[in-house]
Amino acid sequence: MSNILNYIWLVPLFPLIGFLINGLGRNFLSKTLVSFIACGALLASFVVSVYFFISVKEGNHELVKLFDFISVGKLSIPFEFQIDALSSLFLLIITGVGFLIHLYSTAYMHEESNAHYARYFAYLNLFVFSMLLLVLGGNYVIMFIGWEGVGLCSYLLIGYWFKNTDYNNAAKKAFIMNRIGDLGFLLAVFWIIQQFGSVSFGEVFANAESKSTAVLTGITLLLFIGATGKSAQIPLYTWLPDAMAGPTPVSALIHAATMVTAGIYMIARSNILYTLAPTTQSVVAVIGLATAIFAATIAIKQNDIKKVLAYSTVSQLGYMFLGLGVGAYTGAVFHVMTHAFFKALLFLGAGSVIHAMHHEQDIRNMGGLRKKLPITHLTFLLGCIAIAGIPPFSGFFSKDEILAAAYEASPVYWIVGVAGAMMTAFYMFRLYATTFLGNFRGTKEQEHHLHESPWAMTVPLIVLAILAVIGGFVGIPKVFAENAHSLEHFLSPIFTQSEELVKKDHALSHSTEYMLMGVSVALALIAILYAVNRYSKKPELQDAEGFGKVLANKWYVDEIYDAIISKPLKAISIFFNNVIEKSGIDGFVNGIGEGVQYASRQLRLLQSGQVGSYILLMVLGMIILMVVQFFIK
Amino acid sequence: MNVIVLSAVWGVVMMFSGLFIADKSKAKYVAIAGLLVLLVANYFDLHHKFLFASSIGNMLQFESFGMIFVTIALLSTLLYVLLSGAAVEKVGNHAYEYFALLFFVLCGVGIAASYNNLLMLFLGIEIMSIPLYILTGADKRNLKSNEASLKYFLMGSFSTGIMLLGIVLLYGATGTFNLVIPAVSKASENMMVSAGIVLLAIALAFKVSAAPFHFWTPDVYDGAPTVFTSFMATVVKVAGFIAFVRLFENAFGGMTDVWQYTIALIIAATLIAGNITAVFQQSVKRMLAYSSISQAGFMLFAVYSVNAFAKEGILLYAAAYCLATIGIFAVLIKMKDFTFEGFNGLAKQQPLLALLVSIFVLSLAGIPLTAGFLSKYYMVLASIKAGGLLWLIITAMLCAAVSVYYYFRLIQAMYFKEGDANAIDVNPRFKALLVVAAVLIILLGVYPNALLLDWFHIL
Repeated sequence: MSNILNYIWLVPLFPLIGFLINGLGRNFLSKTLVSFIACGALLASFVVSVYFFISVKEGNHELVKLFDFISVGKLSIPFEFQIDALSSLFLLIITGVGFLIHLYSTAYMHEESNAHYARYFAYLNLFVFSMLLLVLGGNYVIMFIGWEGVGLCSYLLIGYWFKNTDYNNAAKKAFIMNRIGDLGFLLAVFWIIQQFGSVSFGEVFANAESKSTAVLTGITLLLFIGATGKSAQIPLYTWLPDAMAGPTPVSALIHAATMVTAGIYMIARSNILYTLAPTTQSVVAVIGLATAIFAATIAIKQNDIKKVLAYSTVSQLGYMFLGLGVGAYTGAVFHVMTHAFFKALLFLGAGSVIHAMHHEQDIRNMGGLRKKLPITHLTFLLGCIAIAGIPPFSGFFSKDEILAAAYEASPVYWIVGVAGAMMTAFYMFRLYATTFLGNFRGTKEQEHHLHESPWAMTVPLIVLAILAVIGGFVGIPKVFAENAHSLEHFLSPIFTQSEELVKKDHALSHSTEYMLMGVSVALALIAILYAVNRYSKKPELQDAEGFGKVLANKWYVDEIYDAIISKPLKAISIFFNNVIEKSGIDGFVNGIGEGVQYASRQLRLLQSGQVGSYILLMVLGMIILMVVQFFIK
Repeated sequence: MNVIVLSAVWGVVMMFSGLFIADKSKAKYVAIAGLLVLLVANYFDLHHKFLFASSIGNMLQFESFGMIFVTIALLSTLLYVLLSGAAVEKVGNHAYEYFALLFFVLCGVGIAASYNNLLMLFLGIEIMSIPLYILTGADKRNLKSNEASLKYFLMGSFSTGIMLLGIVLLYGATGTFNLVIPAVSKASENMMVSAGIVLLAIALAFKVSAAPFHFWTPDVYDGAPTVFTSFMATVVKVAGFIAFVRLFENAFGGMTDVWQYTIALIIAATLIAGNITAVFQQSVKRMLAYSSISQAGFMLFAVYSVNAFAKEGILLYAAAYCLATIGIFAVLIKMKDFTFEGFNGLAKQQPLLALLVSIFVLSLAGIPLTAGFLSKYYMVLASIKAGGLLWLIITAMLCAAVSVYYYFRLIQAMYFKEGDANAIDVNPRFKALLVVAAVLIILLGVYPNALLLDWFHIL
């Protein structure tokens, strides 16, 4: 049975083929054909992924070496896939949610022309391929290929409507921010090669305990810098809200459900390194927590439906990092999963609203959509409840697991975390109430065209809503039932090494845990009631003032970055261009050329055509050689 | 031995067939037949089956290194005759005699590739050189050709004198002409050996046009009929190198400390003089003359290092250099104008020809995927393995960079300049042969072992 896993390369193969067909045939294929190829590729991948998942669930795991990728000196980097509990779970999320979003896109993108439609799906398939490469990679280098691949696709899809300069700038911003993180990742990989002489997960993790804490702290911090880029954490998070320039399904797939969780996947995969570097863990936890609360404050004052969701994503990613930082690896992965369900749902719901409103994204111009878009409304509401952490919806279980672990690490983490959770509930229901409750505030034209979306969009919403509701039951905490946390059981082989190192001296008592849950749920409920009550009747239509204005302007972080980094950099580059490049380097290079030309003109004169002078020069040469031979040397 | 005897015999056959065959355009066919005979003879040489079982008192020694080189030289000559045979016939009224002289040169090449005695070295070099003096002046009514011939002869005699002086000094110190130099103990004898080696190095440096003994090269290459320049710059030049490498490995290999530094100076001077002077040339023919000097600078690394890499490398270099240079000269002969401007716009008129010339030029410049790159690589590798001097290797690299300038000027002229360059009389057979040469260059650059170097170890 275990050798069936050797066919794991099938999973990324389908989207790759889809990419090639749609990409190369974009000028010939009809939209129907393109949709079939793109969705079919994902469905095929999903079906095989389920098959492999079942096999892994039976206890199989495999390192599949496909071929030698790089072989230099003593270093050999094979092209290998690792299929185990962690990667198979991510396979399901990527291909499953990915398929739903592909299906949804067929309707959402229908207005595009044939060639652009095919281009969109080609990029989307390429993205899925890269993401699968990222999670299947059996070593850091293959992971890095996927890591760069998803970054590229993200860039291409954010700038999908490339005629709009703002969108192109957003794409560039995303790419550059990611590149800063990638530099950290690359340096970490080099350091790993230097320390371990290998990049394969198996070998690196097995030898991790023999390395000094300082080295591991350095490596893990650099890896974490990579993660802050890809997973939008402080200080590199600013690209993600701008990335909403892309089509909404792209935001759902790449900037909510999958790509942005790559950093969490990478750290969960490298968990042993982090467990051995407590300093880094603290950094991860603090950065995660700070991002969670910081982004939540910004989300409160945003009026663009997608921006709210974007900051919410940044905030939720912060919770996942908090989980990783306090050693709740299972909790972090659990939250990745539930977040994939409800955030994809929320984004697709937002897409449905935008679709109905003819590309209106400002919630101040919406309101009262409840009646016109019943399915969208209901599923969106379920998503909001899930993200707010109300039991028994999925978000409750995963967030609770992280918060409980945070409390164990330090009650301060828990207090800040719960405050963030409360804000989450508040801004989500502010969004919900402003959009769906109250009266319609848009133009007559828009009202006339309001309609529920076609089945290709509602079906994914319904499926994701169901998952968002029940997805949490795979991770029921111990307080409710012993051994009901099937996810933990499933993932345990990945985290055993870490768990053995951290001997838990005391688990939380049941009463404490009930108390923590009660407090967080109660606060969330209060926030929800307050938000619904306030915004359904009197939505916030004016621009914010005072402190609210600071929040609406995202704490002016973009402006600060511009002033302290971009502007000085630009000044330096102008200096380099004008002074060092033009007079220094160009002068040097052209000087060499001119010097050679000059020498050539002069040397040519030796070639006088006179035999006598030739012989003379030859004799001189002989004398010099003889002198060298006998006297100098 | 077979090649040495048969090439001399075929030279005579060529001369006499000129008496019996009135049509001088048949001469190249007789020559091609002769070359095929020589290739067969060379095949038996390689397997140590000799028609004439004599090594003349051990004065000749047939080892695979020399014999494989002879194969390369014969194949290059064959390609040369196939490409430019018609041009040889057109030089003057004595088509058969020109080919006869080429066969005598090949006889000298055979001796230079197998001598085991200083006298034989002298004979080989002279048999190679004297027909060339005549061929340089073959265009009798052309003053430049006459001048070149006389210059070549005068300076050649000068170098012959130096070579003889070197041989005499070695003989005086050791009492033998054999390549195996007996150890000498007295300081004066040591000095004589040392001086003899330097004089021999200078004489051979003259033959392979290494600086500062290269002054004859541009004038002679420029003045000689272009077909013969092609032959001189390729087969004859690399034959000189084979003689050079064999002498310094077989005779002086055990005392590298005596001469290595001197050779290093010659290399540096050659690289700099060849490359720098080539930059300013306006005529492609003259540029190729300087290019041949700069390539000689690289080939001298084989003399400098005298190790296994050097021997493999010089074989590869010989093949790569001959193929590319013969190819470029074959096209050059067809051109109306020998300046760079003459090539302007060739890519529009003759795209295939321009592409092939580009491949030849890229190989000469040492761009990867071509044999030229690998052969330069081997040369540098050999010198590093021999404990090479860092400054010398850096000089070589910088000079290789300079060489890109003048080689790429040709590509620039063909592809990026407007003009009406048109090669006259280019038939499909000619193009097909050039394609073969270009493909060989690339194959040698990718599979050097299977095509060439493995034979060195098998045979």
